[in-house]
Amino acid sequence: MPFETVNSKVVRAHVSPGTPVLARRGSMLGYSGQVAFRPVHGQGRGIGGMVGAAMSGESNPMMATEGTGQVLYGHKGLHVTVLELDGGAPLVCEADRLLAHDATLQTSVQFLGSGGLKSAISGAMTGQGLFTTNVHGRGAVALLSHGGAFPLQLQGQQIGVDPQAYVGHVGQLTVDLAAKVGFRDVVGRGSGEAFQLRIGGHGTVYVQASEKKF
Amino acid sequence: MALLTAHKRVLHADLQGDRIRAASGSMVAFEGNVDFKSSGMGGGGGMRAALKRAVAGESLSLMDCAGHGRVYLALDAMDVLVVDLAGDTLTVESEHILAHTEQLRLDVQFAGLRGMTSGHGLATTTVTGHGQVAIVSEGPVMALEVAPGADLVVDPDAYVGSRGQLSMNLVSGVSWKSLVGEDAGEPFSLRFTGSGLVLVQSAER
Amino acid sequence: MTYPPGNPYGQPQGNPYGGQQGNPYGQPYGQPQPHGGQPQPYGQPQPPYGQPQPGYGQPPPGYGQPPPYSGQPAPGGQPSWQPSTLNPHTLPDDDNVNPYVFCIALTGGEWFMSKGAMLAYYGDVRFDAVTEYSSVQAWVASRFSSPVYISDWVVAQGHGKLLIGDRGFDLNSYDLDDGNLTIKASNLCAFSKQLELKQSIVPGFVTLIGTGKFIASSNGPVIFVEPPFRADPDALLGWADCPSPSVHHDAQWMTQNLRGMISGALGRASGEERQYDFTGQGTILLQSSEVAREDPAVLRLVESQTQLLTNSQAGSLGQRLIARAQQQ
Repeated sequence: MPFETVNSKVVRAHVSPGTPVLARRGSMLGYSGQVAFRPVHGQGRGIGGMVGAAMSGESNPMMATEGTGQVLYGHKGLHVTVLELDGGAPLVCEADRLLAHDATLQTSVQFLGSGGLKSAISGAMTGQGLFTTNVHGRGAVALLSHGGAFPLQLQGQQIGVDPQAYVGHVGQLTVDLAAKVGFRDVVGRGSGEAFQLRIGGHGTVYVQASEKKF
Repeated sequence: MALLTAHKRVLHADLQGDRIRAASGSMVAFEGNVDFKSSGMGGGGGMRAALKRAVAGESLSLMDCAGHGRVYLALDAMDVLVVDLAGDTLTVESEHILAHTEQLRLDVQFAGLRGMTSGHGLATTTVTGHGQVAIVSEGPVMALEVAPGADLVVDPDAYVGSRGQLSMNLVSGVSWKSLVGEDAGEPFSLRFTGSGLVLVQSAER
Repeated sequence: MTYPPGNPYGQPQGNPYGGQQGNPYGQPYGQPQPHGGQPQPYGQPQPPYGQPQPGYGQPPPGYGQPPPYSGQPAPGGQPSWQPSTLNPHTLPDDDNVNPYVFCIALTGGEWFMSKGAMLAYYGDVRFDAVTEYSSVQAWVASRFSSPVYISDWVVAQGHGKLLIGDRGFDLNSYDLDDGNLTIKASNLCAFSKQLELKQSIVPGFVTLIGTGKFIASSNGPVIFVEPPFRADPDALLGWADCPSPSVHHDAQWMTQNLRGMISGALGRASGEERQYDFTGQGTILLQSSEVAREDPAVLRLVESQTQLLTNSQAGSLGQRLIARAQQQ
């Protein structure tokens, strides 16, 4: 377990030759020991991942932290939530929510929702971040949120989530993007917020206490 | 009856077939069967109130949340406080209102600041009736007592709201003005006299 | 409306998200602490600098304890979240009201205060610009020996309780006992007049020297670490006792990242290519890196150093700065 919560906004990673860490570029607050940082390009494995990244703008610049030492990570005073993945269902989240994760975890880009290509394109047009990153494998992930992420447990019921406030989810969940009539006037503060995410199934959804995306 | 409970930066609104009003765009998630509908500008009062509000520049866009279930509401990761009103009146800056139960009435009140020319703080919103109102603030709210002999001076940006028999005046001492200098630090402050409570947040924005 | 007097503010009873995983609210940070009546030294990194706490970042003992809850249940049987009611008598003397607000008790003395830090005050308090005050009181000029910052500061004097805050950041008070501590200038909120303020050789930082109290903000709780340590310039809040840092350039990063190499010459790309390197004995203070606040003093500081340039050098610097401004 390489991540230790220092406070609600900072995590500390114990990096050793066996356990390198991938982290958002610019998120290193400080370190002790013999540690080196190396920029990593092209998040996501394989051609599909790369195409997805290019298409979605989900190319979050990351870096590898290698060596032996202790490294502090944080980003712009945002809250950090550490999740342990057990190797079962992947974590689904937006790429810019990833502060750091075990380098052994795999990431890939996925279109969130079931509307097919047409809605994928319209989604990309509205900039709703409908392309998400899947994090697979066993290990720890540190996620960013504005004001802290609170978990909502789903046991078969369906919930609605503001896409701006959606942080990520783990479990056997289906996510649909619903354009609700009249929703635009109500929920959106500006343009292009006429959507809500309808999430159902079994698992945990993480939601932040703010409609601010970053 | 709808129940509002504060959980640090998130407000839980539990609906049992009734409705609440919440700031537009403040829904972060919901469970159950809840409908959202724009209810226009804050409060009731019809045309006259709407006009008054437009004049006063105190605008507040609200939505109706109605149905059965729980709505999670939040604004910019600000702290949430639920205030129970039992027929009394809470004065609060409109941008700090997150939600209120249906029975409460919102109205615009002119603060009556003499000699004020800038739009800021000319009018505030009053919440009256029996029910709950949820307000948001940067950091937790402090309720500072004002009593005869204990006047309170507050930075306008830190001011959230007040209750009680209070009168508000502007202070802009000579020394105070001189330190404003090039860029505005605090051009003026609010002095409260009388007896009551003033709600102050921990950030000057 | 009820405001039970003496009710510790905040803290809905129990864990709002009881027992669920990954609960950020379960952390000790940010939880309202017992206050209002029983001034507790919470939130104070009471200079563990000098004797840093083992396992930095850990809250001091008694920090995360649940406050005694004495609130009245709201209609519906749920405990409602009520603020504490405070007045001039119940406000603490020179202590935190909550993690984000500090109360200074003025008893005829003077405090230096950052312009705009004032939230509210009781009593008879006067604020004077340091520039004006120093012409009347010679000691002011001798204490406040940082001309670059002088226009951003005021002298508060009188009798009363003065509440200060900074953008909702955590506020911490530090007691210096014949010591010195260097801190990011834009995070310094107030200091007692017994302390002397000097500009640090590191741009954007100031050093407080002497015996007295000062109050500084941090984005999130302060993290204490010991050298040897390399800190991101944005996350660095200050240091005590150890020598001033040197700048460390990460050679590996620069060679692998051409972009980083170029921008590293005239600024910074991501932060990983350049750190402040601390050695020796002492304590380093870190905060969660922030969206850099515009510090007007830095502009004055850098501008004053352009005196070192020749005219043609100044011209080429100007062109590069214009190019940078157009890029953004």
